[in-house]
Formats: sequence, C-alpha cells, structure tokens
Amino acid sequence: MQIFVNSKFDFVRWRFYAVSFSVLFMLLGLAMFLKHGVNWGIDFAGGATVTLKFRDAVPMDRLRADLADASIQQYGPPEARSVLIRLPELKKEVDYAGLVVAKLNSDLNPQAAAKLDLNFNGRDRLAELLYSVDPDAKGTVPTAKTYYQDVAQNIINKRSEVGIFTNMAQVTSAPGVTTRIAGVLNDKTFLGAFNVLNQETVGPQVGHDLQQKAMWAVILSTLAMGLYLWLRFDLMFGASAIVCIVHDVLMSLAFLMMINGEFSLNIVAALLLIVGFSINDTVVMYDRVRENKRKLKTRMTLEEQLNLAMNQTLSRTILTSGSVVIVLVALLLFGGKVIHEFAWILLIGVLAGTYSTVTIVPAVAIAWNKFTGRGHDLSGPVARTRTDNPPRQQTPTPQQRKRRAG
Amino acid sequence: MTRGLLWRVILILVVLVGFAWAIVPTKDTPEPIRRGLDLKGGTHLVMRVNVGDAVRLETDQASEMLKAQAKKGNLPIPATKRVNDTTFVAVLPADTPTSGYETIAKDYIPSFDVGRTPEGAMQFKMKTASLTAIERDTITHTVETIDNRVNALGVTEPYIAPESNNRIVIQLPGVDDPARVKDIIKTTAQLQFRLVEGEPASDPTATLNGVAPNMKTEVDILPGTREDALGRAAGVEYYAVRKTVPVTGTDLKNARVQKGQLGQPNVGFSLTPDGARKFGDLTGANIKRRLAIVLDNKVVSAPVINSQINESGVIEGNFTQEQAADLSLVLRSGSLPASLTTLEERTVGPSLGRDSIHQGVLASLVGFIALILAVLLYYKGAGINAVLALLLNLIILLGMMAIFHATLTLPGIAGIILTLGMAIDSNVLVFERIREELRDGKVVRAAIENGFSRAFGTIIDTHMTTIISALFLFQFGTGPIKGFAVTLLIGLFASVFTAFFVSRVIFDVMYKAQNRPTEISI
Repeated sequence: MQIFVNSKFDFVRWRFYAVSFSVLFMLLGLAMFLKHGVNWGIDFAGGATVTLKFRDAVPMDRLRADLADASIQQYGPPEARSVLIRLPELKKEVDYAGLVVAKLNSDLNPQAAAKLDLNFNGRDRLAELLYSVDPDAKGTVPTAKTYYQDVAQNIINKRSEVGIFTNMAQVTSAPGVTTRIAGVLNDKTFLGAFNVLNQETVGPQVGHDLQQKAMWAVILSTLAMGLYLWLRFDLMFGASAIVCIVHDVLMSLAFLMMINGEFSLNIVAALLLIVGFSINDTVVMYDRVRENKRKLKTRMTLEEQLNLAMNQTLSRTILTSGSVVIVLVALLLFGGKVIHEFAWILLIGVLAGTYSTVTIVPAVAIAWNKFTGRGHDLSGPVARTRTDNPPRQQTPTPQQRKRRAG
Repeated sequence: MTRGLLWRVILILVVLVGFAWAIVPTKDTPEPIRRGLDLKGGTHLVMRVNVGDAVRLETDQASEMLKAQAKKGNLPIPATKRVNDTTFVAVLPADTPTSGYETIAKDYIPSFDVGRTPEGAMQFKMKTASLTAIERDTITHTVETIDNRVNALGVTEPYIAPESNNRIVIQLPGVDDPARVKDIIKTTAQLQFRLVEGEPASDPTATLNGVAPNMKTEVDILPGTREDALGRAAGVEYYAVRKTVPVTGTDLKNARVQKGQLGQPNVGFSLTPDGARKFGDLTGANIKRRLAIVLDNKVVSAPVINSQINESGVIEGNFTQEQAADLSLVLRSGSLPASLTTLEERTVGPSLGRDSIHQGVLASLVGFIALILAVLLYYKGAGINAVLALLLNLIILLGMMAIFHATLTLPGIAGIILTLGMAIDSNVLVFERIREELRDGKVVRAAIENGFSRAFGTIIDTHMTTIISALFLFQFGTGPIKGFAVTLLIGLFASVFTAFFVSRVIFDVMYKAQNRPTEISI
C-alpha cells in the first residue's frame, strides 16, 4: 500500500490561510485565558486534593457542609461512588490533606474511637491489632509478627481488589483469615464510610518553585533545540525551528484553555515532549531540502524547493504522525483519568507539529528570505524568491565551512 | 550467510536473550521492574529540614561555653543574648578588659568570629565555613535518622535523599497509612532528663513563682499533661525544669515497649555505660526529688526518684499501645537534629495504583496492536521487519529499566508506547527511502543500501531533538515525570539500535541469501 506517491501539493500557497487559522486558534485560546485565567493544578497553585471512594452513596451534602471552601466533584462514573475534593491554597505549610481526611474520618466514622476501620487503615495497624490479640496463639516470637502481617497484607490486597469493603464477608474471604481471626475482625474492626484513594498536599513554596522551574524548562529546551538545529543546519533553520516550536506549544496551550483543563505537572511533561517531538517533521523536511540542493541540477525557487521537499517527505510525515496518533488515541480512550489531559495535549501538539511543518515553517522560511533580501544559503544559489534577480556568489553553510577548515 | 552477517545475527540474539533474561521474574526478583508510587501505592514526601534549629543550638551552646569558662577563669560572667541564629552578643560589666574573653573564644569556641557591636558589647558571629558544615551535617544526620526509622517500620525499598535548599525527598512505596509514618518521621525525639524545681502549676507564672529566687534564671518552663487520680489525661500543667541537661537521648542504648503493673504500656529503656554513669550520679544525688522526662520540649512524666538508678528505667505516660511502640521506635533510632516541615505530600492508595496499572497496560496493548496492524498493512513484508525491530526495542527498553532499576510510572507507561510510536519513525524513514530508490529504478540491494545510508543523518537528527527535550524533562521532573524521562531516553537509544542495526540485518538475511534478489515486499 502506498499513499502520496509523487504528490504535487502546492503547500506554499496555503500558508496565509494557515497562519490566519493558527492566529485565530491562539486568539480563541487567549480569549478563554482572559475569561477564566489558568486553571492551575495543585502542583503549581499549592493546596490539596483528596480522592475518596465511598462504601455507600456519596454523602455530598455532608461533605459540602464539612468542607465549606472546598470544591467537590464526582470522580469517574457514578457507580464508582468516588469524589475528588480540591482545597484552595493555604498560606502556611501544613499537612492539609491529612487534616481534611482526619476531619472527615471523625465525622463520618464515629465508631473509629473504639474499633479499627478496615476501609481506612493500612496493613500495619491491622497487623498490630491481630498480633496484640493473637487469636491463632502464635505467641510473641518474631514469626508471629510476620504471620499476622501476611494475613493483614492479604486483607488489604483484597480491599485493593474490590475497591472498598462493603461487607464483612469480603474481608473474611481473604486468604489466611482463620475462623478465629474472623472472630477478632468482627469484634474489633468495622467497615468505615470511605477509603482514601489518593491524597496530595503541595505547600505554597513548592508550587511557586515548580512554576519557575517549568517555565524555564520549556524556554531553555526550546532554545537548546534552536541551537542544535542552527549548528546542524544554519541560522535560518534554527530560527524557524524556534518559531515552529513556539507555535506548537501555543496551539496546545490554547487548546488546554479551551477545554479549561488543569495545568499540572503532566501537562508540562507533555509540553516538553512536544518541544522535542513536533520539530522532527521539520527536521526531516529541511534535511530533504538540503539534499535536493546538492543533487538537483535544475534551477528552482525557494518556494518550489520547499514544495518539492514537503511532497517528498509527505508520506513519511503522515505515517509517523499517524502511528503516534494511534497510540495517543489508545491512551486517551483506555489510559484512565490520571493521564487523560496529558494525552489530549500531546495529541494536539503532535497534530500541530505536523501541520506547522507544511504551513508555518515554509511561511517563516519565505518571509525570512524576503526580509534578509538574499537567497537563503541553505537552498543555495538556485533558490530565489520569484522577485529576485540573477544569483549571487554562494555563501558557504557552516558545514561547508567546517569541512573546508577541517 | 556471510561471516560478518553471521556475527551480527549472533550479536542481536545475545542482546535479545540478555535483556529478555533481565525481565523474567525470578524468585529473588519477583518484580524485575520496579513500579513507581503511582502504580504501587505509597507516599512521596518533600520535607524541609529547619537547619536553623541546629545552628541556633550551636550558638546557644557557644554562649553557655563562654559563660562557663568565664566562671572557671574567675572573670565576670557576661550577660549574653542571641541576636539571630548565628550571632550572640555578650555585655561585659563596665571597664572589663575583653582580652580574657577573646582567649576563651579562641580556645573553646573557635568556630565564632569575635567583633564589637556599635554599643561596645562583644559580638560573636559563627564563621561561614562552620555554618556550612553544621548545615551539611544536619542534613546528613537527618537523612540517616529518617532512614533508621523507616527501616524500623519495615518499609521495603524506601528512598530517602537530600535535595537542594535543605530539602529531603522521602518515598515510601506500599505505605498505606501515611499519617502514622509521617508522625514517626517528623518526631524530633529529643529526649532529655532534667531536674524539676518547685511544683507544677496550671499556668506558667504560677509555676515560676513557686521556684526559689536564686534558681529563677536557671529554669525553663515547659508544658506537660496533668493526670487525674486515675492516671488519665486531664488538661495541661507547667513544670519548671533546670536548664542543664545531664542525660539525653543519645545516652540511650535501647528502648522497648513494656507492660506496667496495671497492664498499661510503658517504654522501658537501657543506657550506654557512659550514660549509666551519668544517670547514676544524677539520680543518686537527687533522691526524693522529681526528675522530668522531656520529649521535644514537653514533659512526658516527672516521677519522684526513689533510689539511685544506673542502667535502665521506664518512661510512663498516658500511652496507648501504638504510641508506646512509636515512641520506643523513635528513641531507638535517635533524635533528629532539626525539626521538619512538610512541603509536599502525595499519597496514592493501593487500589488507585491497581486501577492505574490496569488502564496503563490496557492502553499500551491496544496502542501497540493497532500500531503493528497499521505497519503490517502498509509495508507488508518489510512491515514484519519493522514489527520485529519494534518488539526487540520493547524488550531492550524493559530490560534496561530492570537492569538500571529505573522506576516504571504511569506517565512512564505512556512514555513506552510513545517511544514505540517514535521508533516506527526510523523504520518509516528508511522504508520510504527504499521505495523511492526502487522507483528510481535501483536494484533491490542497492535500494536497501541507499535507503539506510540516506536516512541515517535524518534519523540521528530526529532522535537528538527528542533526546534534548527528554534531558530537560529529566532535569525538571520529580517522581513520575522523572520516570517518564528515563523511559523515554532509554527508548530513544534502543530505537537507534533497532532501526539501524537490527532492521538492516533482517533485510540482509532476507535478501542477501539470494544472489540477485529482484523483488522486495515493501
């Protein structure tokens, strides 16, 4: 199977429409930004999130009454009986999520004063309880401790499997639970109202540090990319690569604004990845321009050269982006909530990267050529914009200079 | 098959077997690739070590030393005051020469520079080198102590490491009771035995009024728990305890939970030989007086000394079994030189981790299969080649992660399948080139030859750009993101190897065997 064999699309001609589209898209993102601001996740804004899974229906009113300043929303499908609680930033460094969980625990689980909550506590507390009661008469030897630890671990594993215990039969069906242990469990433990899936607290200082770090990471990696490509190719390419990267990152950010997505650490990871990946199409295309310059005998304008290279590499571009898009769509559909926005941003970034290669990059190259007023040396003496006069002396590329010097 | 080709095939097989070996679970390594906290459940903590505590302590000790040596040398005892963490001033009586104190400073507190305040008092400022050394030691000591405590809790494979800005990162996989672990980690556990002056009272001033006038400047007022007749906690009361601390937690040899006479849990301790001597002197000379057991500046209990105690004793307080167990644990593991502030905490419960890994694996499988189908459909015979290279890439990637103990995180899983998507790129570049060469009328062998050599530079460039961004990602990231960057980096290196070397060898094996291949499925 083959697509785009000897295609002859005039990409260069579409560049004005493309630039207009990109600008519009970004303006729309900007408008959303002005309207809503950035929806900073707690990684950057500081604050806390707690995700809880409930044994019965979620007591939403109770939660709202308990946590006045929190935003509480359903997490996952209704049958998951889970909520995500977000708490705004505190000015002090305290264990915010921990305090919230403790408060909810004392409110929703009044029995906890006398009994051990199997939906809330971890392995160690349960193991200690069993060890101190010692229903299976193992004594106080060290092996007794491991024995009860294993039983406790099995029970906790069981809980992870079912999500949350809803009845004691689930608990006692865990491997290693003897009749006597079951007796102790029935007597001294109970099944609390919720299980903590996840709790996070980020202090104001860390959040602030991360914002700085993230910004610098994106800026510096963009510049590093430009520098590398300048050395490998030339200045015009380095510069247009930076424009291309900035374009792709801004398009992704604009999209994030449009869906009012949360700006989290994962999003920064996605942006950094876009910086490195979306430029690849452009590298491949420029590589071809350079190769053609060496190989082709006929005189061509810069526009023609760009069009030729883009058409020659078109099927590769589509295939590669296609394969990455395939895996990203799989991530989007099956990867779960935690990386949903990450996958979206990457997807937009990859698409923007492909699109900018055939639209924005030629636009920059041609504009550069016009403003500098000379044929760009990448495309050699034969490359002229259509308005140009006969060729001048060729200026050597850095590589050629190096080759001569070495 | 030619000799060179044979060797290359052997090399590939060795690589394949070697990395596959690394990812096969064995008895010793049931989990060859370590799962990150987000997949396994556990707690990630970033804490700030308040090194100021240790610096302050050093400054206070230096001013005490100055006074003690002045007393010894029959010099007037100066009034000292700490102005900040690293500086204290000593006000001398009028017309006292400073030379005697300067000698003391030189001999006994060499880590301080001596100067003068505008008001004419002596000023002692800690040297920068000493300050740095104290800060460094404090961090090291803190990391060691936390390590001891975490190990005593039985956490498997904890990660505890200092970071910049006096921060430490603590990762505790599998811990599902973060509140308790945090309490244990954060307890400073500075245990002191100090004599009580006067009687405890319900407010600090009343306590101080009960102290003999000549002792008033020699005591600290510390809070403690009041007990009712039945020994239950009932409010707060304040004790006046002497400033001198004859015996501290560092003199302990061991601590463990004991049962008291009524079956209530207590913490029994035994002392080092040196500590036992000091404790014997202290208790022997102060029979019938109260001795306060002070933990982190709170009086835990203040029993009356009935007889001289040498080697061991008991700390009684209103402990639950768990509190007693935790206290004996922190006493055994030593005290922290400075307090800790939690800056960041991320805890993932085991069930969420379980869900995440299920979803991650499912998404990867679907993506991977879709990718294979697409490649096979598009390239047919050569597609098989690409798929083989891709599989080998996956094996190398996972094997490297196992060998280097890299951590697999949820974004890391995304990183893996993304890497595979990108690895395809190299194959695509080569294959498209081969097709072009064929269209230009080249024979099969020359087309393969040119396809690989022409695509080489491009492939290096595309990989380099992604490597650059992965390096920035690594530098920027924490926890899961770092795992993602590592996965990506390993994958990129593996992809150069498979796309170039392996894929080439497969073509050679397929087409070099024939003398003059005339057809290629691509």
